[in-house]
Amino acid sequence: MTTIAPSGVPADTAPRRTRRRLHRGERSLRTTVVLLVVGFNAVLLVYPVVSALRGSFHRWNPLNGTYDPIGFENYATLFTDPVFWRTALNTVVFGTVVITLRVAVGLALACAIFARVTRWKTFFRTIFYLPTVTPLVAVAYVWKLAYHPQIGAVDTVLGLDINWLYDSTFALPAIMVMTVWKDFGYAVILFLAGLYAIPEETLEASVVDGCSPAQRFRFITLPLLAPMTVFVVVTSVIAYLQAYVQILVMTGGGPGRSTNLISFLIYEEAFVKYNFGYASAIAFVLFFCTALMTVVSFRLAGGRSLLKAAR
Amino acid sequence: MIARKAGAVLLHATLLGLGLLTVAPFVWMALSAFKTNAEINSLDQTLLPREWTIENFVNLQETFDILRLFSNSVLLSVTITSIVVYTSALAGFVLVKYEFRGRTAIFAFVLGTMMIPWAVTIIPRYTMFVAVGLQDSYLSLVIPAALSGFGIFMMRQSMGAVPDEVLEAARLDGASETYVFHRIVLPMSVNAISALSIFQFLWVWEDYLWPYLMINSPEKQVLAVGLTTFSGRYGTDYGGLFAATTLSIIPVIVVYVIFQRRFVAGAASAAVKG
Repeated sequence: MTTIAPSGVPADTAPRRTRRRLHRGERSLRTTVVLLVVGFNAVLLVYPVVSALRGSFHRWNPLNGTYDPIGFENYATLFTDPVFWRTALNTVVFGTVVITLRVAVGLALACAIFARVTRWKTFFRTIFYLPTVTPLVAVAYVWKLAYHPQIGAVDTVLGLDINWLYDSTFALPAIMVMTVWKDFGYAVILFLAGLYAIPEETLEASVVDGCSPAQRFRFITLPLLAPMTVFVVVTSVIAYLQAYVQILVMTGGGPGRSTNLISFLIYEEAFVKYNFGYASAIAFVLFFCTALMTVVSFRLAGGRSLLKAAR
Repeated sequence: MIARKAGAVLLHATLLGLGLLTVAPFVWMALSAFKTNAEINSLDQTLLPREWTIENFVNLQETFDILRLFSNSVLLSVTITSIVVYTSALAGFVLVKYEFRGRTAIFAFVLGTMMIPWAVTIIPRYTMFVAVGLQDSYLSLVIPAALSGFGIFMMRQSMGAVPDEVLEAARLDGASETYVFHRIVLPMSVNAISALSIFQFLWVWEDYLWPYLMINSPEKQVLAVGLTTFSGRYGTDYGGLFAATTLSIIPVIVVYVIFQRRFVAGAASAAVKG
């Protein structure tokens, strides 16, 4: 939070009256919101999740109307399919590299912009955030052309002759570079917001106490940025496990299977091959992994603080 | 002193260098949109067009009705963003300023919804919307986007900072809760609203798969989907593709520039008080 609550705000420790009088119109607002949230999610989330789970135990093809129960066969096929494992490995590599770089680059640039000597802060903030606010589909096309071996800007500028997207060694790294370029600005903005929320006095006190800049970063800035780091990491995990647009536009999963990612595999199985049941099974494995990694990163960085309302 | 000066110069040089790297693809794209296809395909590349031409943009409109796709996307993005901002603000307000049984459970549930990948729900949603006959209607794009877990989370976190005294004072003056929400809490949350608007507008603007599945008529299609069919149909018309991507980036940048002054402060409200 940027605004520090003024002193005199009743703290959470104030005794709560169990039955307070409702304000005028409170009940109707409350009912509206509860019904809206519960109703919307029941129809558009809970019901679809349940039917996807049921569907994952069926051979399900809407084109010819198949919906046959086959037990765990989809899952069995999935875990013995080398394509799935290759794709899962790609997704882990892609996610780990991109998230690490996003956090590292984002944090470094946020600190650089935050530094007292830095001028044109707004200008830099805007520049670094530009790729983040551009549509991924559009950006993916631009980079696809930039990676073109004859007329692409990348080889022209670097003086290389690499066919980036058609070489199984370079294709995934090329897509990772593009993804980091596209998304690091998000981390810059959030870390900057976190830095501005650190009380002046804290940093000043550390100077008075004779902290070196390195010590100050290690023992004051980093711990105070922890909640923001959780937020960046958790939202990145959720986002990158679902990445598919880059692959759809730039490589279609190739060459070979070298750039296939889980979400792209699901897209192909579902809407290219119409194997709804099999695609649902993969989606559930992805769901399980997302939930697991979210909880782990939450725990690691003490994400409990996120649940408390900032008062 | 000299060392510090040198350090500052180095810092700015690094930032400027990285800034250049960041905008380079945009510059290349925008400039290439004004090149002829012959020049784009030539082996001898220059950054600036040798001869400036607007034929790429003109051709786009003729072969592709880009303005149509463009206005479809603008209309949809503005509509959905407005709805999401309003529903998120309302839900966030109720979840943070009222105490009632089940409040924490509802909020935890909303947080949980953010973790569900689109891949899990998209197949049943697709069959649902086809079954009720909403295919090829914009309703099928607006309804699933009307409520956002991320939006509720963000608004709730930021509205926690609105002092209770202000609300109490208004109530003592006889204001109803709807008045308090619309006239006091909403204006005080302008930072968070700005940040959410930027995020949400971009999400709708770049959303590809759902409109691709739901919308069949070419004249109703959105720009993101249009771009992909475009590259298939005119495989080597790079000039047209550059022109189209340039056009597809402009509105989001405009939205960003409009809201950016309040954006950083708003983004901060997504996390907690440091």
